[in-house]
Amino acid sequence: MSNTPLLEARKLGKRVSGPEGELVLLEDINFTLFPGQSLAITGPSGSGKSTLLGLLAGLDSPSSGEVLINNERFSHLPEDERAQRRGDLCSFVFQDFHLVNDLNALENVMLPLELKGTPERESIARRCLAQVGLSERAKHFPTTLSGGEQQRVALARAFAVNPRLLFADEPTGSLDHANGARVIELLFALNRHTDNKDNANKTNGAALILVTHDAQLAARCEFHLRLEAGRIYQVPTDAYPRTTDTL
Amino acid sequence: MSQLFRPWRDQTFQLLAAALAIAAFALVTMILLRAELENRFAVQTAEALGGDLVLSGSREPDAVQRAIFTSQAFTSQAGRYTQLIDFSTVLVQEDNILLVSARAVDASYPLYGNISIAHNRFDSAIAINTGPKPGEVWVDNQVLDRLSIQVGESITIGRKALTISTLIRQLPDQSAGFYSMNPRIVFNQVDLESTGVIGPGARLHHHVMLSADKEALATIKLKLDKHLRPDQNIETTDNAAIRSMGPLRQLTLWANLAVLLISLLCGAAIYLATAQRVRQRARLAGLLRTFGARRYQIIGRLLGSEFLAVLPAALLGTSLGIIGIFGLKYLLGWDGSLAASPGDWLALIFSPIVLWAAFALPRLSALVRVPAIEVLRQGNRQAAFSVQTELLAVLAGPILLASFLTRSFADLGQLVLLLILLAALLPAILWPLLKVLDLLSRAFPIALRLALRRLARRPYLTLPLMASLTLAMAILALAGHTGSGLLDNWRTTLPEKAPNHFVLNLYDQDLPAYRQWLSDHQARSQALYPVVRGRLTEINGKPVREAVSKENKAGNRHLNRDLVLTEANDLPASNIIVEGQWKTPNNASASVSTSVNTSFNTSINTVSVEQKLAERMGLKLGDKLQFVTSRGKLEPTITSIREVDWNSFAPNFYFMFNEGSLKNEDITWLTSFWLSEGDGKRLAELIQHLPQITLLDVSVLLDKTQKIVSQASRAAGLIALLLMFSALLVLSSAVLGSQAQRGRDNALLRTLGAKHHLLRRVAWLEFLILSGSAALGATLLTFAALYPIGKQLLIGTSQVSPWLLLPTALAIIVAIGGVALSRQALNTPPLDLLRREQY
Repeated sequence: MSNTPLLEARKLGKRVSGPEGELVLLEDINFTLFPGQSLAITGPSGSGKSTLLGLLAGLDSPSSGEVLINNERFSHLPEDERAQRRGDLCSFVFQDFHLVNDLNALENVMLPLELKGTPERESIARRCLAQVGLSERAKHFPTTLSGGEQQRVALARAFAVNPRLLFADEPTGSLDHANGARVIELLFALNRHTDNKDNANKTNGAALILVTHDAQLAARCEFHLRLEAGRIYQVPTDAYPRTTDTL
Repeated sequence: MSQLFRPWRDQTFQLLAAALAIAAFALVTMILLRAELENRFAVQTAEALGGDLVLSGSREPDAVQRAIFTSQAFTSQAGRYTQLIDFSTVLVQEDNILLVSARAVDASYPLYGNISIAHNRFDSAIAINTGPKPGEVWVDNQVLDRLSIQVGESITIGRKALTISTLIRQLPDQSAGFYSMNPRIVFNQVDLESTGVIGPGARLHHHVMLSADKEALATIKLKLDKHLRPDQNIETTDNAAIRSMGPLRQLTLWANLAVLLISLLCGAAIYLATAQRVRQRARLAGLLRTFGARRYQIIGRLLGSEFLAVLPAALLGTSLGIIGIFGLKYLLGWDGSLAASPGDWLALIFSPIVLWAAFALPRLSALVRVPAIEVLRQGNRQAAFSVQTELLAVLAGPILLASFLTRSFADLGQLVLLLILLAALLPAILWPLLKVLDLLSRAFPIALRLALRRLARRPYLTLPLMASLTLAMAILALAGHTGSGLLDNWRTTLPEKAPNHFVLNLYDQDLPAYRQWLSDHQARSQALYPVVRGRLTEINGKPVREAVSKENKAGNRHLNRDLVLTEANDLPASNIIVEGQWKTPNNASASVSTSVNTSFNTSINTVSVEQKLAERMGLKLGDKLQFVTSRGKLEPTITSIREVDWNSFAPNFYFMFNEGSLKNEDITWLTSFWLSEGDGKRLAELIQHLPQITLLDVSVLLDKTQKIVSQASRAAGLIALLLMFSALLVLSSAVLGSQAQRGRDNALLRTLGAKHHLLRRVAWLEFLILSGSAALGATLLTFAALYPIGKQLLIGTSQVSPWLLLPTALAIIVAIGGVALSRQALNTPPLDLLRREQY
C-alpha cells in the first residue's frame, strides 16, 4: 500500500448566492483516501452529496478549501488541466448512465480511450464489454438497450481507461433490484481487478467514491461519510478514512 | 388563462413558439408584400388599360349593357366608368391636311392616372386628371409642326372649329407601341356630334372603361359576358397582355417563389422544434395513458393545449408582419392603406395555423399513440411516428400553402414539384456521402470523427436541416443570379441614356442633316431602320382571312391595317431567336416569288416574325407570306421566330426581313435617340430643318418605367433579405432545439477529460461539414435548376455568374452562426451531469 494519499479534501466548502442571501452547500469537509480504498457518501436529498462528488472530481471549483490528487492541488488547476487530469485518472458512473446516444455501445466504451489517444482502443473496449457480458450488444445504440444494460455499458466505459479514481453517483438509482445488484457486483469486481500498470506503487484497484442512498450498498464500502446540510454528520469510527488506513 | 401560458414555461415550447412566430411574421410579410406589389402592378396595368375592365367594340354599347354599368348596384359599390371613342380623322388647315388619331372623351376621363400636358411646344410637362372642356381640343406636338399652327388658334374637325388649348405629352393609357403613328388629338364628347365625323360607315372604336373593387368587377364582367356582341371584347387587368410583359411578371413570379421557400423554411423550423417537444411530452402522454386517459382526452389535453398555446405566437408574428409591412411601405414611399384583399387577410390569419398543422400536428399526433408502458422506460422517450402521415403532410403542406398563398398554382406547379423532388433527392444524395465519411472516420482525427458522428447519427435533425439549408442557399443563389440578371437586363434595356425620342418619316436625303443635328447637340442615336408599310394578304397562298382560324381572333387586328416592315442585317439586342435561324445559309432557297402580276416587284427574301404574333396568327417556320406594299408584293418565307422585349425602348418590329429585301421599296427611316434634358429649342431646330419628320417624346413614359424598375429592384432586395433571415432562423431553431443534447454531450466529454478547444473544434467541424454539404448540394441544385427557372424568370440569362459562389459564402456564415448559437452548449459545466434529471 502506498503511503501517498491519492485523494485529499482539505476544509472543502461550497457556497452559492441565492435569492435569500448566501447558501452554504458544503462546509469544512476533510478526509483522505488512499489507492484501492472505497468510500460511500450518503445523506438525505439536498445534503450536498452530488456537490461534494463534483468538487472531488474537479467538475466544479470549491468556494473554500482544496482538493488534492497525488498531492497536487487539483481543485486549483485551470479548467482544461483539470479535464486532462480527469481523463488520465478518473472515471464516472452516473445514475442516468449518460451514454452518448449517437454512439453504439462499443463506441461509447471507446470514447474516453479516443480522448486519451489510446491506439488499441477497440480491443480494450471489446474486452471491457465482454467483462460486463455485453459482447453481443456491442453494435447496439443506447436507446435499444435496457436500463441495466446501459449501466453495464457505462461501467465498461468507466473501467476501460484503468482509472485510479472511480466516482459513482447513485449507480443503481435507476435500476431494479436484480439489475442493481448485478451492476454493484460488477462495480466491485471490476474495481478489485483494475490494474494501474502506470502506477509505480502498484495497488489492487482504483479508489472508489460512491454516492448512494442505499445503506446496504454503503456498507460494502470500507469507509462511510454521511452528510447532512452540507456537513459531515456522522462518521463511524471504524469506517473513517484515515491517512494511515490501508485495505 | 394560466393554462394557456403554462407550456410557455418550457424551453422547448418557447422554441416552437418562436419558430411559429417567425413563420407567421415571414408569411404575413410575404402575403402583404405580394398584395402591395400586385396592387402596384394592377394600378400600373389599370392605368395602361384606362380602367380595371375595358369593354371595346366597333359600336357603342347596347342599352342593356349600358344599364349594367350605369346601374345603381354598380355605382353604389364605388364603381365608376368613362366612355370614349377612338377614330381616325383628317385635320385641314389652309392647304395642309393631316391624318390624326382622335379621341372623344367624357367628363370622367381619365379613370386612372394623369394626363401629362404642356401649355406650349417646349414647356415642361404637368399632370392633370381631367380631359378637355367642350370647345377645346388637345393635340400632339406634331399637329402644330405639321399644320404650322400655334396653341390658342382654332382648328376644324369635320364641321366644328375647336380651340387648341393644350399639348398632349402623355395619355395614361397610351401604349408605347407603334400601332398608330398618327398624331393624337383629344376633345370633349359633347362636341362629337356637331363635328359630323361619325356618320354611317365611320370606323369607330368605342371603349367603356370601368373601375371598381374586384368583387364588383367580377359580377359586372359576368353580366357583360352574357351580352357581349361579336364585335366586342373585354379586357381586364388580370388578362391584359401588359401584365404578362417584362419585369412586372418576372418580379411577381420571383415573389411567389420566395413565398414558397419561406413556407418550406418555416415548416422545417416548426418541424425541428416540434420533434424536440414531442420527445419531451412522450412521458406525459404515457403517464396519462396509465391513468386510463382515452385518446380524445389526450388529444384535448396535449394537442388542444399545444394548439391554444401557439395561438399567441401566431398572433405575435402576424402583428409584427403587419407592422413590418407598414414600415416597409414608409421606407419605400408607397402611399395608401394596405392593399390586401379579404382573401389575403384570411390567408394571413390562417396560414401560420395551416403551417403548424402541416409540420407540427402529424408529429404531435404521435403522442396519442404513446403506449402506457412509456412511463416505465428510462432515458430517451420515443413516440410512434407515422412516417406516411408525416411524409404526406410535409409534402402536401407546402404545396397547398404555396398555392393558397400565391393563388397561381398553375404558374408555380412545375417549380414546386422540382423543389420538392430536389428537397427529397438532395438529402438522398448527400446522406450516403455523410454515412460513408462516418464509416471512414476511424482514420480521422478525433474532432472530425466526433463531428461526423454527430451529424451522421442524428438523421432526424441533420436531414431536414441539410435540406432546408440546401434549398435556401440554392434559391438565394438563383435569386441573386436571376435578380442581378434581371437588373442587368433592365440596365441594358433602360440605360441611363436610354432613347427618349423616336423619329419617324426620315427620308434618305434627310439623313445628313439629321446626323449633323445629332452631332451638334451630343444626342445619341440608335440604329436606323428602313421602314415600309405593307399589308399582309396571303399565308401559304391562301388569302389571309381564310388562313387565320377563327380561334385566332386576336390576330385579326394585324390583318386590317398597314404593318410596319423593316429589314436588318444584325439581330437587335432586344430580340432573341427562339426558333429557326436569323440568317439562313442560303437565302436563295428560301423563297421565290410566283406573282402573276409582272408589274409588281418580286424578290428573294426571308422574314423573322415576332413570337406572340406568330402564335396568335398560327404562323410557323417555313410558312410563305405575301405582303402588298406601295411598290408591289413581298413574298418572304418565315425562317425564324423572335422573342421581343417590348420594354426595351428601342425600335421593335413584328416583321423583320433579311437585308436587301426592301431595296426596291419606298422606304423611310425610323430611329430613336437620347437627348439630355434642357430647353426645347434643340428639338425645334430639328423640326425646322426636317419639317416632315414625326418626333415622339417618350421621356415621360421612360421616367415612369425607370421609377417602377427602381422600386421593383428595392423590393426584390428586401425579399432576398427576408429569405436569408428565414434560412438563418431555421438553423437557429435546429441548433437551439438540440442545445440540451449538445450541452449534455459536451459536459460528458469534459467529464471524460476533453479539453475545451476540442469541443470548439468539434462544433466548428460539425457546422462546416453541415453547411459545406448544403453549399455543395445548393451549387449543384443551382446549376440544375438554372436552366428551367432562369428561363421562366429571365430571358437569356447567362448560366455562370459570381452568384454561384453565394452558397459557399453562406456556408461560412451559417457555420459561424451555428457555432455562435452553440456557445451555451459549449459552456455547459460538467457538474450539470450530476444535477440535471433530464436533458
